[in-house]
Amino acid sequence: MAENHSKTELKELGQTLLRIGAHLMSAGANIQRIRKTVERVAGAFGCTIDLLITNRALMITISDDEVTHFHSGLKRTLPHGVNFRVVSGISRMSWCVVDNNWTIDDVNAEIDRLIALPHYPRLLILGVVSLAGASFCRLFGGTHIDMLVAFGATFLGLFVRQESMKQNFNAYLCIFFAAFTSSLIASICVKFSAEVHDQALNACVLYLIPGVPFINSFSDLIHGNIMNGIVKSVHGLIIAFAIAMGLMLAMQICQLLVL
Amino acid sequence: MGYFFFEKGIWFGSAAIGFAILFNVPVRTLRYIFIIGALGGLLKTLLLWLGINVIVSSLGGATLAGYMGVFAAHDKHAPPMVFSIPSVIPMVPGVFAYRMMLGLIKLSIIPDENYEKVLSETISNGLNATFILLSLALGVAIPLLVTRKESVKKAK
Repeated sequence: MAENHSKTELKELGQTLLRIGAHLMSAGANIQRIRKTVERVAGAFGCTIDLLITNRALMITISDDEVTHFHSGLKRTLPHGVNFRVVSGISRMSWCVVDNNWTIDDVNAEIDRLIALPHYPRLLILGVVSLAGASFCRLFGGTHIDMLVAFGATFLGLFVRQESMKQNFNAYLCIFFAAFTSSLIASICVKFSAEVHDQALNACVLYLIPGVPFINSFSDLIHGNIMNGIVKSVHGLIIAFAIAMGLMLAMQICQLLVL
Repeated sequence: MGYFFFEKGIWFGSAAIGFAILFNVPVRTLRYIFIIGALGGLLKTLLLWLGINVIVSSLGGATLAGYMGVFAAHDKHAPPMVFSIPSVIPMVPGVFAYRMMLGLIKLSIIPDENYEKVLSETISNGLNATFILLSLALGVAIPLLVTRKESVKKAK
């Protein structure tokens, strides 16, 4: 279809492609995936694109094959929050566009549907992530009591993080609050009970580790997207720093740091 | 030995599920993430038990997770990263990173006679943590680098 796109069609398609890219970026996809997905959708509509991807904004130039018209657009990405349901959904959608000849309206409707998909229930998230904290504690060789402490500390820490996210605090500050809460609870338990060991303390902040930024950073770097890789690893380092600050403050308060 | 070994698998799997839920993965992928997380973690534990360096063991575990992620991606029609990233996060070097942070905090305060001992321990822990993280990221990326495919799904 679509050998000769009108101006408005190109503009609409450009905006849709930017939407796809921006949502993928904030859901935690790597650069390679964003580029391939956007190019695949553009290809299905018979257009060629050039895409500039940075962490906070995307820029696109889209033209039809005869270059009778072209459209350029810039879009800021949304605040980052890892959401693999969106990544997976957009990836599936991009193949539907290729196989089933979707129109631009279909694509937009599907994106709206994917964004509106619910997260897991809050209590389930809290419970399962706390279970993960307890699992870490067990893997480090903690006893059952250590696991219980890690569970409680993770639960309350994650709760604090969710609440402070709702209050629109700075994202790194939210992580600091969470790390502080978790490690304070664990530190108090370690300090006042001989039954609780260090394992509880070092497992209780692990739910905050910047695994997705570091892994994505590496995959961007080896694909030659050096700038994006550096930006993501610095983002990961700031998160690690925020965790360290929270941990340090809590341990200072409980005087657990032997200096 | 055998009992504790398989018990570890369950904990690796549960930790993977925890991160999967935190990352909001589709429900249909959860079962695979548990299995991949458990097997990857068990391979790492097995390699460690055979006396292999912790960095190489992590690379082995992460590579297994990466490959299984690709197979699961075919079955469940989701990108491989959805499976492999939550699965390798339980292998993240939490203890090394924790000790490195403590060491850095100690180093930043007035030096005493233990300074050199703390310094060497901190460097060793920090390098271990860094290289394990790198090997996890490499392990996830290896299947896609080896097959040189841009997408695991074949175009019709």
